[in-house]
Amino acid sequence: MIKVLIGFVVGVAVIALSIWQMAPSLMFTERVSPFGMDETVARIQHNIQNTGNGWALSGLRNPAKAVQTDGGNVLPVMMIEACSTKYSKPILKDDTLRFLSILMPCKISIYKKNDGKVYIGTMNAGLIGKMFGPMVGETMGHVAEDQKKFLQFDPNTPAPKMILPAAPAAAGASGGSGGGC
Amino acid sequence: MSLGNILRTLALMALALAPCAGRATPAPAPAAATAAPAMAPVQSAPVLATKAGTNSTADHSKFEALKKSFASGPEVTKACLTCHTEAAKQVQKTKHWTWEFMNPDTKQRLGKKHVINNFCTAVPSNYEFCTACHVGYGWKDEKFDFAAQENVDCLVCHDTTGTYRKLPGLAGHPPYKDTEFPPHSGKIVKAPDLGEVARNIGKSSRATCGACHFFGGGGDAVKHGDIDSSLKNPGKYLDVHMAKEGLNFTCGTCHATSGHDVPGSRYAPTATDEKAGAHMRGKKDVNAATCQACHGTRPHPAAMTKLNDHTDKLACQTCHIPEFARGGIATKMSWDWSTAGKLGPDGKPIKIKDSAGRDAYDSKKGDFKYEANVIPEYIWFNGKVNYTLRETKLDPSKIIRINSFEGSANDGKSKVWPIKIFRGKQPFDKVSNTLLIPHTFGNDDSSYWSNFDWNKALEAGQKAAGGEFSGQYGFVSTEMSWPITHMVAPKGDALTCQQCHGVNGRLDKVPGLYMPGRDANPWLDKIGWGIALLTLLGVLGHGSVRILMARKRG
Repeated sequence: MIKVLIGFVVGVAVIALSIWQMAPSLMFTERVSPFGMDETVARIQHNIQNTGNGWALSGLRNPAKAVQTDGGNVLPVMMIEACSTKYSKPILKDDTLRFLSILMPCKISIYKKNDGKVYIGTMNAGLIGKMFGPMVGETMGHVAEDQKKFLQFDPNTPAPKMILPAAPAAAGASGGSGGGC
Repeated sequence: MSLGNILRTLALMALALAPCAGRATPAPAPAAATAAPAMAPVQSAPVLATKAGTNSTADHSKFEALKKSFASGPEVTKACLTCHTEAAKQVQKTKHWTWEFMNPDTKQRLGKKHVINNFCTAVPSNYEFCTACHVGYGWKDEKFDFAAQENVDCLVCHDTTGTYRKLPGLAGHPPYKDTEFPPHSGKIVKAPDLGEVARNIGKSSRATCGACHFFGGGGDAVKHGDIDSSLKNPGKYLDVHMAKEGLNFTCGTCHATSGHDVPGSRYAPTATDEKAGAHMRGKKDVNAATCQACHGTRPHPAAMTKLNDHTDKLACQTCHIPEFARGGIATKMSWDWSTAGKLGPDGKPIKIKDSAGRDAYDSKKGDFKYEANVIPEYIWFNGKVNYTLRETKLDPSKIIRINSFEGSANDGKSKVWPIKIFRGKQPFDKVSNTLLIPHTFGNDDSSYWSNFDWNKALEAGQKAAGGEFSGQYGFVSTEMSWPITHMVAPKGDALTCQQCHGVNGRLDKVPGLYMPGRDANPWLDKIGWGIALLTLLGVLGHGSVRILMARKRG
């Protein structure tokens, strides 16, 4: 009996450790972009605008700029913010779920690493949504589907122009265009 | 108070407010559109903005020779020479004037007058355009009088008003009347008041040097990658030496001149500074513009011995310039002349912009690519540079190196250097297998930018350079290397150990390096582990024997 109990505890511990190890890669995804920083940002922005379902750009942040202002250097990072009222509205209407506004707006991060390549980082909206009940799970599932469309690139189309925020704010902040949420 | 003084006071006030304004700048900072085919207007560095801010013993506004209006640049120079009798003769001995350099090692005749690059390619046949950045007046063809002292342009280096500007197409002269530039753009470049500029001259500044060097290759940040207009008033993050809120170095602080001769050379760079240490300004046997000239060969604190041990194989720049083009302006990374000449439906030249609004295609020049925050490539470099010259035979099936940096891990003279490699495609003669010079600028029928006819342009370009053209041309892939040595980051932003010593580190492509942490010798590893195991066994054995003996004794 003791052997079974020890085996069970060890099994639980191994699974917990595995989840601990795998969780970051499950909750967030990273892929290499075939384009440079500016073009990657521009293509994703235009994909977001063309996806429909109420999606609109709500900001473009440059956290590296704030570091520069303080006298330091980091490799470029640009964060595209987008939101869809179609998906945000039901969550924001429910008092028990309003805390999930912390996940809004949806962010896609484009950054360069020391290998010189440009990467795209996204949150796994589908998986995270499932943790908060069926309604959020279903909504975030739709978000995840749309996210895939944001990252579909057609290299045969010419590079579009980057969309800069209409009303810039302080360094490192968004110039929120008022779109989305 | 004169209008000039009022303007300078306003400029100072604007500079004083700049830090506050900087905090409120927009967040996104895409690499800006940088097309600037003209020499930029010179703006005075803060330290030189007023006479009160200088240590000069002369107020040029009080000089009788300058108390008049001037109709041309040479007239101003004649006035300067009434006091500075030797200045023009000194300038005329320098590369800034001759655009010539004889490399004593390779015996190659270099300098802008002779080399061919993979940007705008070459000066011959395009003099009036290129010589906007010559420190002289009137170099419009091969007949230019290099001995005439009044042809030396004093103002381009010594202006402090920020109003003096030379435009391509005027053979090194500033515009003497208000001029629309670029042509048909609707933008008017004001003619400078030469008298006002002359009466307010001062030491060279980041702005005066940058007026040409920031814009090398035809636009802001195009050529070097580590020199662009962001260095005019840089923040500390961009360059610890030049930071306007910090040391506030001008270019001349390191490139300290002696008799108008500026140390530092792209044709014969100092890769390893053996004579490092306190540098005596004016001594010609050493380059005053190296890191070691001030910092010595063991620049880190004594407690950081291991870092100091790196200095025999690594250039300072390798660790301390982690990326170039960090000032928010993307540098040009490639130029493909082979695609030039596509015209719009109306038969007129076209431009296509990239995502950040820069020219990605120009009918006159072809395709471009840009990048900001570029991670350098790294090579062994011993200071020797070999050029592919106009007469050099090439193999068009291979990538042609416009300049080859020599060096190896074993020659005892090389260090690992960061470089920018500029890649391109440019015309060559299919029969003679040599690079060709196109005649690009001019209103004549043979210039490429007028008629988009490569045959005519190449024939005219070669003729002007004294070369031949078979009539058969193609495009060959080329590479040109540029050592990275400016945009020195704060010490906290130098490369970390892991960035080189880790897997996929920065120096992975540098041959001949044994990198602890990355590389392993299997036999050495086995011996090491064996010794560790034997040590462990020895300790365990010894301990066991001691325990057994203790028990035996009771």
